[in-house]
Amino acid sequence: MASTVDFRTLVDQSCRYSDEFVNIYYDCIDKRRRNLTRLYLDKATLVWNGNAVTGRDALSEFFESLPSKQATQGQTTLLVVTAGSVKFDGNKQRYFNQNFLLTAQASPNSDQPVWKIASDCFRFQDWAN
Amino acid sequence: HRNRKGRGPFRAPLYSDQISRPRHRGGHGGGGGGPGPRSRLQDDDGDVTMVEGPQDSGIPFGKKYDKDWLLSSLQSVCSIKAPICQIYHTDGNKAQFYVEDSTTANALFKVSRKITDKDGYKVIHIICNVTVIMNSCPPPALIHTDLKAADLEHLKQCMAKRFDGSQQALDLNNIRVDPDLVSQNIEVTLNRRNSMLAVIKIIEENIPELICLNLSNNRLYRLDDLADIVNKVPNLKILNLSHNELKTERELDKLKGLKLVELSLEGNPLSGHYKNQADYVSAVRERFPKLLKLDGHVLPPPIGFDLEVAPATLPPCKASYFCSEEIKNIILCFLQQYYSIYDSGDRQPLLDAYHDGAAFSLSIPFTLQNASNLGEYQKDCRNIRRMKDDPTTRFRLIKHTRLNVVAFLNELPKTQHDIASLIVDVNTYTATLLAFTVSGVFKETDGKSRDSFRAFSRVFIAVPAGNAGLCIVNDELFVRNATTEEIRRAFVAPAPTPSSSPVPTLSAPQQEMLAAFSLMSGMNLEWSQKCLQDNDWDFDRAAQIFTGLKVHQWFTRINEEFIYKT
Repeated sequence: MASTVDFRTLVDQSCRYSDEFVNIYYDCIDKRRRNLTRLYLDKATLVWNGNAVTGRDALSEFFESLPSKQATQGQTTLLVVTAGSVKFDGNKQRYFNQNFLLTAQASPNSDQPVWKIASDCFRFQDWAN
Repeated sequence: HRNRKGRGPFRAPLYSDQISRPRHRGGHGGGGGGPGPRSRLQDDDGDVTMVEGPQDSGIPFGKKYDKDWLLSSLQSVCSIKAPICQIYHTDGNKAQFYVEDSTTANALFKVSRKITDKDGYKVIHIICNVTVIMNSCPPPALIHTDLKAADLEHLKQCMAKRFDGSQQALDLNNIRVDPDLVSQNIEVTLNRRNSMLAVIKIIEENIPELICLNLSNNRLYRLDDLADIVNKVPNLKILNLSHNELKTERELDKLKGLKLVELSLEGNPLSGHYKNQADYVSAVRERFPKLLKLDGHVLPPPIGFDLEVAPATLPPCKASYFCSEEIKNIILCFLQQYYSIYDSGDRQPLLDAYHDGAAFSLSIPFTLQNASNLGEYQKDCRNIRRMKDDPTTRFRLIKHTRLNVVAFLNELPKTQHDIASLIVDVNTYTATLLAFTVSGVFKETDGKSRDSFRAFSRVFIAVPAGNAGLCIVNDELFVRNATTEEIRRAFVAPAPTPSSSPVPTLSAPQQEMLAAFSLMSGMNLEWSQKCLQDNDWDFDRAAQIFTGLKVHQWFTRINEEFIYKT
């Protein structure tokens, strides 16, 4: 499949999808956290500042346990790599790097495939402090 | 005192009134000594136009006099002891300054013509102009000189004295007249933006855990400049804004987000607006639902809903996450090799590490994209959010195919990475790929930014490629300047041992094997030893791991495991 589409087209498509993903993801994590796990594969892994969380149930628990946050703008490139700043309730604002591996999956809810997060890797820039 | 009505300037009687002059504020154009319609009663000197309240006073021709000299001269003959001048600037030939109130104005008025400059000219006419002041108007944003570093230090000391650590409370009541500041001639007026911002910055940097803050008697008429406190001092619970000049409760909107438990607002104009206490309390509580005490009165506790969970703490941050020992070894071997080439001065050999169709891109922090010394990286920074309208550049900035990737990497500044400090997070391993994120610190060793310390976060995606081993398909690099903390910690730790198990003493044959293996692989002794140990000191087996054959088998095994677990 990939060989019939040229690289340039792939790049453009990727950029559009990444942009859309970033908007959806950070909006979801701020406002509709219960729905956030639906963006992930059943077997997805999250590595959060060195803490590994695997599987939807564990992910669900993990997100519930985080204080609420407002994520702000970041910058993205191809494979959805983002960087920005985030402020969790009761904590100060901190810079972070994050990257996602998205994969397309068939969806029971729609004719078209949907993007799902296969992995999510998040780290504060000052994690060691 | 400020409510005297006036309509345009009217001039108080002065001897110069005896001259018929055009009605204006007393300033004369032209320099001293020029011919003009001057009366013989008037010397060739400047006039001061002084207006009561936050309007300007003027010293025509004041520019030729040094500000400090003028002010100290005024003050030396004037009966007012406190500093008189709020804002001082020269406007053409006039020197203008603001005075606080009519008392000061009158005192200055009395010293008209009493000051002589060094040339013997009587320098100052003070004409008292009372101009319309119905409402206090904010001082113009003409001269907001920021506090100098030395002054900031004094301010910090002054605030330290007013801080009670046991209560986490800071008392900034009427800070402007604090003797420590006055004696140093430091102007800290909290209703001015630069003063308020300076104070907030000092709090943020020194006592961000502050719980209680007293800002009474500071003539605050708006809270815009205080708004940052919501983010920077999130634990603030008790706030005293009494005896200021807040006119409406809408000012409180600017502090929304503060979880105040106690608030004082008495002595502000807004207090008088409410017909009854209940409306007042209700309006304030709208902004601060958790409030228990207002103006010293205890309020009936609010009744809420049980939606709030106890404030959660963040999980503790840990170091590298490798998934398994096996993957850890593979990745560490890979990184050791990769960075020894990367730091060697010629990155060409990295061609072997990349897949034919590999892609690479680079980015730097968003806020720095217009400035700073990340210049080497800036032109290739690919932040697609900034390129929505420019798909061509967006495409061009991806380096595609391994030749292009490595050619580009070779153009980047020469580096020295702190291998010991690298942190690795393994995002994903599946049958077909291994993705991991490396973060750490490096130093630039040549070029314009030689000796600059940078921090980076780099995502590698690798696949098994035939029988070759770990092969990079995607490489995305994010570079930023290292923080002082990161610089301090860089390059100081000794290289870690890859495992925490105690290192047994080696027999002679083992030592020989170790030396040979290290030579062959190019790995340091510690990792070489680890590799040999893991393979029971079987040189060939260890060597196979190193050349990646085992990697391929590993991928296969993962594949099987994956299937079995599903």
